[in-house]
Amino acid sequence: MKKFSPTLAILLSFLLTPALSTVGFGNDISVTATVDKNSLTIEDVLRLSIVIKGTQNTPPPELPSLPSFRVAAAGTSSSTQYINTQRSVSITHNYRLTPMKTGTMIIGPARVRINGNTYSTQPITIKIQKSSNNSTPSGKTAFVEAALSNKKAYIGEQLVYTFRLFHRVDAKNLNLKLPFDSKWFHKENLGEPKAYIKIINGIQYHVQELSMAIFPLIKGLIDIPASVIELDLLHKTQSRHRQDPFSQFFNDPFFGQRTQVQHKVLRSQPLALDVLPLPKGAPKGFKNLIGEFEISSKLGKSDLEVGDTTTLTVTVSGRGDIKGVTIEEPDLKNHFKIYPDKPEVRQVVDKNQIRGEKIFKFALVPLVKGQKTLPIFTLPYFDTEKGQYYIAKTQAITLDIKPSSTKEKLNLVQSSQQSLKIEKPEIQTLGKDILPIYTELDKFQNNGAYSLAYMGTGFGSPIIIFFISVFVMKRQNRMKYDVAFYRRRNAFKNANQRLKNMTTQAESKEFARQLSEILREYIGDKLNLEGKAITAEEVEACLKESNYQYSHAENTRKLLEKCETLQYAPMNPGSTKELLGESENLIKVLEKHS
Amino acid sequence: MRYPNTLKFILSIFLTLLSLPVQASDYRNEIVHANSLYSEKQYAKSVDAYESLIQDGVRNGYLFYNLGNAYIRMGKTGPAILNYIRAKNLIPRDENLAANLKFAIQQTQDKIEAPPLGTLNILFFWVNDFSLNELIYFSICLNFIFWGTLALWMFFPYLKIARNTLLFILILSFVSIVVKIKNDSDLKLGVILSEKVEVKSGRSLDTITLFQLHEGALINIVGKHDDWFEVRLNDKQKGWVPQNSLGT
Repeated sequence: MKKFSPTLAILLSFLLTPALSTVGFGNDISVTATVDKNSLTIEDVLRLSIVIKGTQNTPPPELPSLPSFRVAAAGTSSSTQYINTQRSVSITHNYRLTPMKTGTMIIGPARVRINGNTYSTQPITIKIQKSSNNSTPSGKTAFVEAALSNKKAYIGEQLVYTFRLFHRVDAKNLNLKLPFDSKWFHKENLGEPKAYIKIINGIQYHVQELSMAIFPLIKGLIDIPASVIELDLLHKTQSRHRQDPFSQFFNDPFFGQRTQVQHKVLRSQPLALDVLPLPKGAPKGFKNLIGEFEISSKLGKSDLEVGDTTTLTVTVSGRGDIKGVTIEEPDLKNHFKIYPDKPEVRQVVDKNQIRGEKIFKFALVPLVKGQKTLPIFTLPYFDTEKGQYYIAKTQAITLDIKPSSTKEKLNLVQSSQQSLKIEKPEIQTLGKDILPIYTELDKFQNNGAYSLAYMGTGFGSPIIIFFISVFVMKRQNRMKYDVAFYRRRNAFKNANQRLKNMTTQAESKEFARQLSEILREYIGDKLNLEGKAITAEEVEACLKESNYQYSHAENTRKLLEKCETLQYAPMNPGSTKELLGESENLIKVLEKHS
Repeated sequence: MRYPNTLKFILSIFLTLLSLPVQASDYRNEIVHANSLYSEKQYAKSVDAYESLIQDGVRNGYLFYNLGNAYIRMGKTGPAILNYIRAKNLIPRDENLAANLKFAIQQTQDKIEAPPLGTLNILFFWVNDFSLNELIYFSICLNFIFWGTLALWMFFPYLKIARNTLLFILILSFVSIVVKIKNDSDLKLGVILSEKVEVKSGRSLDTITLFQLHEGALINIVGKHDDWFEVRLNDKQKGWVPQNSLGT
């Protein structure tokens, strides 16, 4: 049996120990819940830790119902310890609990399911008190306050809600939640938060101030809940070694100063608002416009002809919800074409009051000549400061429209800044019917299916033409460059031509010589030989070699010998004619069998 | 001339090609007569005139279109749709025809969705925009151009790209013809001509009625047995209808 080497044994022990210990500790699982404090104020935050010992592979704990707290996860941490070769593991789940109300609360048992078993924590009792000094904030590190510009307001009246955060130490991670429900209030921001320093009872505070315009929408007594801000306060503390003699030298924030973070939840006082209904006697056309407003109108061009374009500008300015201002389109039917433009809104905040102007533009095109007075625009509103209804009005504008000097082009209307989209009514279909029959006789050609002959010709003929052309071209090329082929192809034609040109009236000697020459040249051309230089026997031999019939070869030899003989022995004219015919026949026979 | 016979042969082919499509002209008087009957609102007589022309072998898209119009005027939606569809095979891109066919289909009672296009029809998407004759004519013209280019390429080798491109288009046109013929033979469209037709589960009147179709309904014919057509609306609804109730 082989022995383990010591090194291997050590390695194995390292590898196996964690596995074995995990198994071993699986039976010693415990779950506990702890809090960092049992008594706290409503401004403080409670830290709940659930520690699971004996294992690290667990699902997150199931927290009990905590309606009195807002719960936020604050991370997990795990630890592994070796004490006397004993390994212990644990995992801690942290939670941040923000109290929502005062009183004694019980945090119920949290549950963890591990390997089919359920482990529960013990309940924890927490006492939540009011802030130590709510009415007099002096001495506190941080506090908040909220204020309303007026405790009574008419419905739709602008109020200013101001939230202030006072803090002596640095504050980070601010998270403000304002209490306004869109059902009760319409709100508008009044710019960026302001930051300034204020001394309260000799203590310097940094102040962050946020103002907001609110417009109550429902009459009656409304409770405005507290605004809640969560923040981290950074407390700077000095280290202990500042007591040593060198502390003077190192008394610098850079050296040894520590920062302690305190998470706080600060709540402002709830506020009450009495929203009054508007008094009776609202003028005609009143559209719940609250504030103080003016209205004016002006015309871009007063010297007009029929078909010209001008812009009517109506400006509403004042204090209040300027965005909500609307005016009716002027009634100018049969006298003008009107194209309304998109209104422009300019809004500013002046001394926490929303002021601004809304500009309405109408492009007007006169349709008829003559004097015309544009209608007056009215704007009823309720002035909260004076507690009365008012009606703002524009001045009347009278126009003297001249007849058009050019032909009217009403479609070229344009407003001052951007072209207007004129919506024309869609053409409605009043009835449906089929389209008429065709009567042009050219269209009625009988175009039945193509016959096979037609398609065969159409598809086949170009192929045939192509191959014929290729053949012809190749032949022409051969005739040009292949001398033997050229001679062979033209041999019969040349010989025949020369035979026809011969006259039987010529002297028999010369006749026989020419005939012999024609015959030998014909055979020379056919066999690509020098015809004039070959003898009758050589002609016979060559013809036989070229697969001519022996009888034809012999006849040729005999005819040639006859011609040679006749060159020395004259003959009568009848014999020349016979010889010519014999030669013609021989050439035809040779051509046929070549 | 050196090759008079070759030239004569080529000339005779061209003359044959030119003379083949132009054949009859006698039927034109009949068309004028039928059109005038239609204009005089004698729709039934104009239908007879158009039908007799078709029976005489005249095949023309505009003739089918006019016949469809005459049927519409008579209130016979089924035969009208049938003739519009016949016309569509011959003049597939005619806008008036498309409008009238749409109008006629709107008059029908049954809402039937068009069958989905097959893979071949998606690949050869242009095939349905051309009639078979147009595709053949195009291929013949392309055939002449291709072989002419092939001949020229022997003298001008730089025409190789043109030769290859033409060869590709020529092959494509041949395949298009095959696809068109396959479409025409595989997917045969029928039109319900009776006022109401009961689609049966079998080839007998005493079988179960699966569903009903009304005049003008377009339906795919997938088979024929004796005097019955096997028809299919979609993957789920199919059955048999008597032959005389369906126009193809």
